[in-house]
Amino acid sequence: MSRTIDVIVIGSGMAGLCAATAAARKNARVRIISEGMGCMAISGGAIDLLGYDNEGNLLDNPWAGLKTLAPDHPYTLLGAENIKTALDGVVEIAGRHGLRLKHAGDDQNPRNFRFPTIMGTLRPTYLYQDNIDEQTLANAERVLVVSVKGFRDCRPALVINQLRRYKGWADKEYVPLVLPSPFDEKGRSLSALDLAHVADRPQGRDWMLNAIRGIGKGFDLVLMPPMLGARPLSPVRDKAAETAGCPCLEMASVPPGVAGLRIREALVDELHDLGVEFYENTQIKKAEIKDGNCASLTASAAGREIVHHARAVVVATGGILSGGVILDPGKAREGIFNLDIPVPGNVDDWSEPEIFGKHMVTSLGVKVDSQMRALDKNGVPCLGNVFFAGRTLGGYDYAAEKSGHGVAAATGWQAGSMAAGLALGKTAEQKASGADI
Amino acid sequence: MKVRINPDKCIACTTCVVNCPVSRVTPKFLGPRMIGPAYERFRLLGLAEDESLTYCANCKNCDITCPQGVHVSSINMLARAEQSKKYGASLRDWVLAHGELQAKMLQMIPAGLKNWGMLNPVTRHVLDKLGIDKRAPLPAFAKKTFRQMFKKINQPDLPRKIIYFPGCYIDVYDPQTGLDMVWAFNRAGYQVISPDAFCCCGLPMIANGFWEDARKRAKRNLTELAKWRNEGVPAVTGCPSCALIFREDLPEYFPDLVEKLGMHQLEDAQDFLLQCAERGELALREAAGLEPMEVIYHAPCHLRAQGDGLPGYKLLQALDGVKVTEANAGCCGISGSYGFKKEKYDIAQEIGSELFRKVRESKAEVAASECGTCRVQIQHGSGKKAIHPVAILRARLEPGNRQEGQTG
Amino acid sequence: MLETTVVVIGGGATGMGTLRDLSMRGVPAILLEQGGIAHGTSSRFHGLLHSGARYVVNDPASARECIEENMILRRIGKQCVEETEGFFVLTPKDDPKFVDAWEKGCKEAGIDAREISVKDALRLEPNLAPDIVRCFRVPDSCVDGFRLVLHNRMSAERHGGKALHYHEVTEILKRNGKVYGVRVLDRMHNKTIEIRCRYIINAAGSWSGLIAAMAGLEASITPDRGTLVAFNHRFTSRVINRLHPSSDGDIFVPHGSITILGTTSVPTDRPDDTRATYAEVVKLLELGEPLFPQVHDYRILRAFAGTRPLYTPGGASGRKATRNFQVVDHAADGLDGMVSIFGGKLTTYRLMAEKVCDDVCKRLGVGTTCRTADEPMCPAPDPAILEQATKYFPTHALNLMADRLGDDLEPVLQKAKIDAEKAAIATGTQVCDFSGNPLLCECEMVSLAEIETVARDPGVYSLTDIRLRTRLGMGTCQGAFCSVRTVGSLVEHGINLEFSPTDSVCRFMQERWKGARPALWGQQAREMEFGRAIYAGLLNLDGAMHEQDN
Repeated sequence: MSRTIDVIVIGSGMAGLCAATAAARKNARVRIISEGMGCMAISGGAIDLLGYDNEGNLLDNPWAGLKTLAPDHPYTLLGAENIKTALDGVVEIAGRHGLRLKHAGDDQNPRNFRFPTIMGTLRPTYLYQDNIDEQTLANAERVLVVSVKGFRDCRPALVINQLRRYKGWADKEYVPLVLPSPFDEKGRSLSALDLAHVADRPQGRDWMLNAIRGIGKGFDLVLMPPMLGARPLSPVRDKAAETAGCPCLEMASVPPGVAGLRIREALVDELHDLGVEFYENTQIKKAEIKDGNCASLTASAAGREIVHHARAVVVATGGILSGGVILDPGKAREGIFNLDIPVPGNVDDWSEPEIFGKHMVTSLGVKVDSQMRALDKNGVPCLGNVFFAGRTLGGYDYAAEKSGHGVAAATGWQAGSMAAGLALGKTAEQKASGADI
Repeated sequence: MKVRINPDKCIACTTCVVNCPVSRVTPKFLGPRMIGPAYERFRLLGLAEDESLTYCANCKNCDITCPQGVHVSSINMLARAEQSKKYGASLRDWVLAHGELQAKMLQMIPAGLKNWGMLNPVTRHVLDKLGIDKRAPLPAFAKKTFRQMFKKINQPDLPRKIIYFPGCYIDVYDPQTGLDMVWAFNRAGYQVISPDAFCCCGLPMIANGFWEDARKRAKRNLTELAKWRNEGVPAVTGCPSCALIFREDLPEYFPDLVEKLGMHQLEDAQDFLLQCAERGELALREAAGLEPMEVIYHAPCHLRAQGDGLPGYKLLQALDGVKVTEANAGCCGISGSYGFKKEKYDIAQEIGSELFRKVRESKAEVAASECGTCRVQIQHGSGKKAIHPVAILRARLEPGNRQEGQTG
Repeated sequence: MLETTVVVIGGGATGMGTLRDLSMRGVPAILLEQGGIAHGTSSRFHGLLHSGARYVVNDPASARECIEENMILRRIGKQCVEETEGFFVLTPKDDPKFVDAWEKGCKEAGIDAREISVKDALRLEPNLAPDIVRCFRVPDSCVDGFRLVLHNRMSAERHGGKALHYHEVTEILKRNGKVYGVRVLDRMHNKTIEIRCRYIINAAGSWSGLIAAMAGLEASITPDRGTLVAFNHRFTSRVINRLHPSSDGDIFVPHGSITILGTTSVPTDRPDDTRATYAEVVKLLELGEPLFPQVHDYRILRAFAGTRPLYTPGGASGRKATRNFQVVDHAADGLDGMVSIFGGKLTTYRLMAEKVCDDVCKRLGVGTTCRTADEPMCPAPDPAILEQATKYFPTHALNLMADRLGDDLEPVLQKAKIDAEKAAIATGTQVCDFSGNPLLCECEMVSLAEIETVARDPGVYSLTDIRLRTRLGMGTCQGAFCSVRTVGSLVEHGINLEFSPTDSVCRFMQERWKGARPALWGQQAREMEFGRAIYAGLLNLDGAMHEQDN
């Protein structure tokens, strides 16, 4: 049957795309089945590794913070080496498709980067897209904060007001600048993505370069919304600093955050190059389990059922937001295999009254071993050929500890590698025994 | 019966906005999230419609990418139906929605004359005034319709039957591809039946707000399909949009009809052929002495929306002498009749520009795509010929018998 | 120190209605409210403007008052009332014998209740359960509590009245058995002021027992907590009641773009006990199911609770306690110059105000009579002006806003016009684009001009205050996008809220969080994770709270 393949990856967010890449690189035939396209395209696009340790202390070196994490944290299960393999892989792929990802410090002393957002807050992140180092930020005395007329999500006055509240940022001199809008017709309000799309078009490219030409003269740093193109490769982004006359940094924006879309496109382009199949707009309705393995997946697609077979499956269906973890009154479960996730029966006990408290519900997910296989309540792997990745996993709260995309990339890579290893091993075995599949 | 879609699943995450081809190129469209689920909450409050609703192309990229499973495009189409019921629709939209009827009315006129009548500068000027852009790539009528030609084919007497739903595009503009389809099924061991009762699938009517007209056609088609389903005969179509209408839209829009007449799984013809090949019923051995061929394949949005991968692409991949690459460039912009409309022509061209560039720059001599209007748009935008994958299949397996130049 | 004739304590509908009434009679008065607009129960109910049909069997006196006041409010509060009508629906779970008594009660109370066929009922409200047995139409309506209080305030201010928000009464000043003023804590500036007056009207609703106690009086006020659930969309266009003796979870009320299901009834010892619990939400959903079988699939925006100010001198409680009100002059208790208004419900707030003002005016020797039933609270917006404003306002946003704003409409339109013209001059374009006045909240269609104007009001301190006036952040995204946009715009326009931008947004999200917690499953849990992805994951507001100086 045409629908039999080595590895099926369910989900096409950061974890799913990384899993598919890792598996395809091991020469497995891979199919991605996705219901939507995950949340990566709307994200801010920097890869957080670990911003705060287990006690909530701000981390300068994220790798040092790994040691403080709980034993069931996905990073603890993976170990630093595996995490590094995954991040190196993502950096390499992004680079091949024209998108530069880098971390602060150098390879001997890698560090977090305190990344300014369009709300004027700073977030400790690891891999970011700008060719700017932290020294430039620290030493900048005169900072130009740029937005575009009609762009509601970014107001230079807010950014300046907020940045001034940080140590090290208080004494800089700030100047706000609002560029005219590239749209002169009546229409919807602008988003950062609209601006970035403008920069991707030939006429728009000229507009953008003209708009920023020379604005940085006399400044040490320009902060702007992510508007320098939505594609991984952008001539405008490459020329921005030179055109503006000083280093430029795109701030992290609320959805649609543009920069996440760039990473996604780079990974998707890579998967196309690797010959990975995409089955979109498909929902897995049923998973058949035989002898502790997933034997088939039944998908519902445009009103009919399609059965898929794979030797190994990666579940990267996201967390609560994307339906990978499903919450019902008093109950929680994983979305594909209906794995039970134990929770208190009273929903009031799932969270703390303070919004930024340590909530049980925000780190709820599937418990796995170091290979990313789900564990039953006795701690024994319960699905031999199924590997879990990304926010479907429990044991971490990416929003609080700032490990967004980081855990997803690392666990995705691991799950994909494991799935390919299993599938190809199995293939060889079955070929050897002459079994017909 | 009034159908409404619960807008609650939308959490305003903006993923659909990121992937909406129309939003990408024009600020005139409020965007799928806003005009879909967000506005739906105000429609229930009795607020009048926003004019930007007409900018939704019904390409379904919002549905494809929504992580929450919201059928944004369906919300939009239902709202559009309501709107045109309330305020009426333009003559232009009627014309574009009812190509099937016009073709029928013009049936007696020879194609050459028809095409001269329709495509000459004067008519195009009149159409332009009506709101159909004079630059739009209106396809030319074929000399004979598929139905007319189909009746004249001598098919081998095969025990297994298959129902073929050609769709308007094949019937009126591209009958040769329909004949290629018949050839392919015959070769796979199926005798093709294409019942006269079939009519337009209704998509252009839905997209232009002619709800009752779409309903009438749905009823007629479903009644015919039910007959064959009860006899256990499979049914296929080579057109992704027709397939999508039957599989997804009709049950959603006309649940009472589907309840009464039963749901019909109109299958993807390419997928059916692929499965025949895998079962060994259809040998994909290419004819001897052919030059290798390079093809660039475009996946129609309405195919991607069906959740069954890209069987036409796989079919081409299975041919040894064909090197096929996927364009991976998103929507072509045409969305049926959308890109013909005067106020949308430029939008449609801009949407497709990335695809056109890739097709132009590719080494492939032809582009392939299952959807008729996608092919028209690709040809118009890139200057390269665009054909149906099954046409390539026939050209590779049995090149001698295929007659070119049947159209026009 | 301030001086006035009457101090009104409590800024809910009753207090604000009282201020309006006094002001229209020419009596100088100051109203003191411990929180923001409609901080108490006036914003924490289902938004039903009773026809009275709910009370006809148990409490016919209340029922008659309801229908009369219902008709008056439709006249004087056009912008606050949506004339939806209501259904009383008999489900298979209800006792069919109750119908006769109910119909008879309606007739006696003068409430027009007409049966319609089940088929017609389902056609009008397709989401209703298909197995309903009987259905009656009644003149129920919907009322926006925030807006009602606000428009009362605007009307009162036009007549010279004054309302102070975030002013908490800490002491009733009395001498020789007579009150002479109050001591008040200005909570936003943390200072104490004294207000001298001749009369105090205690209209503090659920807090009225505490105010009475502060004056050394005893009053049997039993706060009774009612929990409600707000849903993301308007799945019914009418008020839907179960046709049975009043009980929990038997009312659905459409409220603009959303629907509210209420309520529970649990006695509590604290008027500010407004926490909704998981158990209550689940119970409400179960109870609501016979009317709307899909109720479990509708997305919950939030659960919230309010406290009814039940007046229970005889010891009756809960659903058995009367919904009627009582004006008590404390002269009888040995304290001259203080009148309390106990009990009652929102529908009859105007009547309550009228009665208490009659009493106080008689003692003050003021001869003017009540006019609150005759004059609309806010003039209807001029259609010509609205038409003009469509040039620089998205039309739908404009229509929704026109009702919301009352007296603030004109300044907002003026402002939008000036901004649009300025933008046009700056960019050399036509005065037709909305870029000068974008929607900051797309889910509820709230534009910059409106938010800015409201934010400049001296009584507005926080995003929550803005929310109450504009519906900012009350729709689908629950503030995920609009709160950042709003603080950005305010900083840009030099309008400072009481808190830093980070703090403002965090407080706003905290409010929303409180409402989401008891129903943290399904689609609402998805939205919660999305919100956290933005506020914690992307913007690191949780970190910024510690790392920024305020």
